[in-house]
Amino acid sequence: MDYVSPFDERRREAQPLAPRGVALAGATVVLLDINKRRGDEFLDRIEVRLHEHGAQTLREVKEIFSKPAQPELIRRIANRGDLTVEGLAD
Amino acid sequence: MVLCDRGGEEVEVTCEASQREVACLEHAGKPCELALEVDADTEAEHRPVEQMLIVVPADQLSGWTPMPAPDFVLPSVRGGPLGLAELRAGGPVVLVFVAEECPTSTLALRRLAPLAAPLREAGVALAAVFEDPPEVAARVARTTGFSGTALAEPAPYEVSRAYRLEALPTTVLVDRDGEEADRRVGWDAAGLEELLTRACGTAIDVTRDAPAVKPGCAAKSTYDAATIALLDGGADELEDMFARGWTDGLPVVPPTRERVAAMLGGRDPGLVLGEVPPAMGEATLERVAACAVLAGCRPAYFPVVEAAVRAALEPAFNLNGQAVTTQPSGQLVVVNGPIRHALGLNSGMGALGPGTRANLTIGRALRLVITLTGGAAPGRLDRATLGHPGKLGFCIAEDEENSPWEPLHVERGFAPDRSVVTVIASDAPLSISEHRSMGPEELASILGWAAAATWSPNWWPLGATSVYVICPEHRALFAAAGWSKERVREAMFAAVTRPARELQHGETTPFVLAADPDATITKWTSPQEIVVLAAGGEAGRYSALLGPCLGMQAAVVSREVVEST
Repeated sequence: MDYVSPFDERRREAQPLAPRGVALAGATVVLLDINKRRGDEFLDRIEVRLHEHGAQTLREVKEIFSKPAQPELIRRIANRGDLTVEGLAD
Repeated sequence: MVLCDRGGEEVEVTCEASQREVACLEHAGKPCELALEVDADTEAEHRPVEQMLIVVPADQLSGWTPMPAPDFVLPSVRGGPLGLAELRAGGPVVLVFVAEECPTSTLALRRLAPLAAPLREAGVALAAVFEDPPEVAARVARTTGFSGTALAEPAPYEVSRAYRLEALPTTVLVDRDGEEADRRVGWDAAGLEELLTRACGTAIDVTRDAPAVKPGCAAKSTYDAATIALLDGGADELEDMFARGWTDGLPVVPPTRERVAAMLGGRDPGLVLGEVPPAMGEATLERVAACAVLAGCRPAYFPVVEAAVRAALEPAFNLNGQAVTTQPSGQLVVVNGPIRHALGLNSGMGALGPGTRANLTIGRALRLVITLTGGAAPGRLDRATLGHPGKLGFCIAEDEENSPWEPLHVERGFAPDRSVVTVIASDAPLSISEHRSMGPEELASILGWAAAATWSPNWWPLGATSVYVICPEHRALFAAAGWSKERVREAMFAAVTRPARELQHGETTPFVLAADPDATITKWTSPQEIVVLAAGGEAGRYSALLGPCLGMQAAVVSREVVEST
């Protein structure tokens, strides 16, 4: 039987993962707060641990947790950091 | 006997197999090192040579060259479709083709079960592809303890054909480059150990418990069409829909090309309404029509479905957040204007309940667009902790003719004679029984206080839209007092207050935490957060409240229904 699929059957290219194994010492880590309750508490703790390992940190905040990050924010993170840690919450 | 290489080219061999172990072969006139191993524990010597277990390491097959493993997308027993591309994202993939009826498949699944974890740790995905419907695959995976990914491929077994299966189980190694790097047929502990070790790059032990070698069964895909039609309920197109994952869990109407064409009614099938989050599937009009067919819509409903999809895809609605949230909220579709009567939408008795095809299927069509085209399958990208029944579909019409107030679409700036769809992110309905109020203030207060516990008894103000569906008897009381819809809203808003100190504990809003303990806190930020609709049967003083979806900044969005093609 010939059906019309409700799915978008287009194949999507898998995005390659960024290289792993970046050393923390001397690295710049962007801490992304998605703007949800208590996410900042988690990132505060992570930030302390990262400093102990010799990393520098930058903080960024999404406008709202329930919407995709703005392209400009993603570009800024990509340009400024070697690593990103995103703090989910609840 | 005919052997094929991975490219499907026939490899001619001459075979003088003894009843066990090794036969000398010739390929293209030259002796080669191929081995035919037959099961020494069985009556293999009594079987025709075609049924012998053929164990030939793929890279030793003369003339074999690496070939891309055919791509596929199949229903996962955990719900939703899953493709080879997704499986490959982490590295190599080991595919084990099996079927319920094949005892050797059961043996293989049981023995491979404990290896799923070490394979996963080595970055190798282990997936069983069942030549069975999803419900059968799920049961067999469960009973064998198989913890890898389980995919279901019911008839007509196109994936099995693409992989040129002859027998089950067949184990195929797909390497990081997406090429078939190895293949073993039947249960062959030593051969599978080689394959798995090769996949992982580290030694993997496969149990050598007897039987260490066991032939399997013919793949279902090798049978003729008439036989296949009898397998797996393949002749039952309703079961086929479940097998494809084209469902919300209830039976659907199969979207044949004829039905979809009728649904489109001459509209451009390639017209793109937008990308549906969260998976950003492209909502062509044809796919939306397919969802409308699946939902059970009549073609006459399609303009309303299209308008609902257009409204839901407005960025201000933030469908992305709604589709993946752990909250229960779904998408309420409100229909106003003359098309309500043309389609037979129910705004009277049981307006929120079952019984009316137009209401049930229009709401369902929008949900299927989100669930299927958008990929928000419950338990996968839809992460709702509990959900609610309205997520199957939730569409109501306003009883404009028996309302003292202007209908929703007029409130929102449309002419009364226009047909308009409005989408609102909303929770499940809460019924409010109120049979004793004598005045509008008392009634507004009681209706308003029903909202006190929505989202959470402690979460004030809500900061999101609440929907009230006011029944005819309640409307009549307000109308007798000459109350406008705005006055009802303002009275509800004003009635529901608490001192901040009563809310300053547990999980509460930053607003409450920062407030003076004696400050008065309202349940809503403003009366404009309250949407008032008119619907319901004439007898019974039961209105309803639909709680909000929070944290989405989800605007109420309206779109006019365009009936012409």
